[in-house]
Amino acid sequence: MTSLGPLPGTLALLVSGLALLAGAVALVATRRPALALGVLLDLLLAAGLLRLAAEPTWTSIATAAAVVALRRLIGAGLRAGGRVLADVPPPAHR
Amino acid sequence: MEELLAEVVGVLVTVVEACGAAVILVGAVWAFARFVWVGVRGHGSRAFVPVRLTLGRFLALGLEFQLASDVLRTAVAPSFRELGQLAAVAAIRTALNYFLSREIAEERRQVAEEAREATPDPAAPESPGRTA
Repeated sequence: MTSLGPLPGTLALLVSGLALLAGAVALVATRRPALALGVLLDLLLAAGLLRLAAEPTWTSIATAAAVVALRRLIGAGLRAGGRVLADVPPPAHR
Repeated sequence: MEELLAEVVGVLVTVVEACGAAVILVGAVWAFARFVWVGVRGHGSRAFVPVRLTLGRFLALGLEFQLASDVLRTAVAPSFRELGQLAAVAAIRTALNYFLSREIAEERRQVAEEAREATPDPAAPESPGRTA
């Protein structure tokens, strides 16, 4: 079933590195961890998809599924938390 | 005859899958460059949303290519183990495509909402809290 050889795996590694870098840049630039996490997970997802194209072993399939599920979970959790925080009135000293 | 078909489908699968991987890679690298650009220029957190939107579109497009290659793969009857892996991969890709499209719709709605808030309606300048 392997059709593309090890190339996508290498590219996936590269994209994972880019993801960490972009997440760090986003965190430093905006100081909003939720946004930086979103950026990181977006790019990690791209890496996972590339890895899935490389060689679908059961381990890589499980890893990709875990990343996707985790991404959904964290995203939903952050949105719910954001809504709750948005309903709270701003602090008095601002 | 069957070997020939398997060979042709194998080549097609490789080509289509490579297209999908290329789309995902280009999207990821482009989004990384934009993320760094936006972060360095300091446009604030709002500038990240359109970049994420475009990355999501790239990922969805790449996923569709990869789903096409999955469909092609089912044309040549593989072994039962390969069929199971194929089903798992196709399920992941389909679910992801669905969630991605929902996410894109949600973020597009947010962008439109923010744009509407940023530019008040010129036809009704004295009613900022307009209904409907």
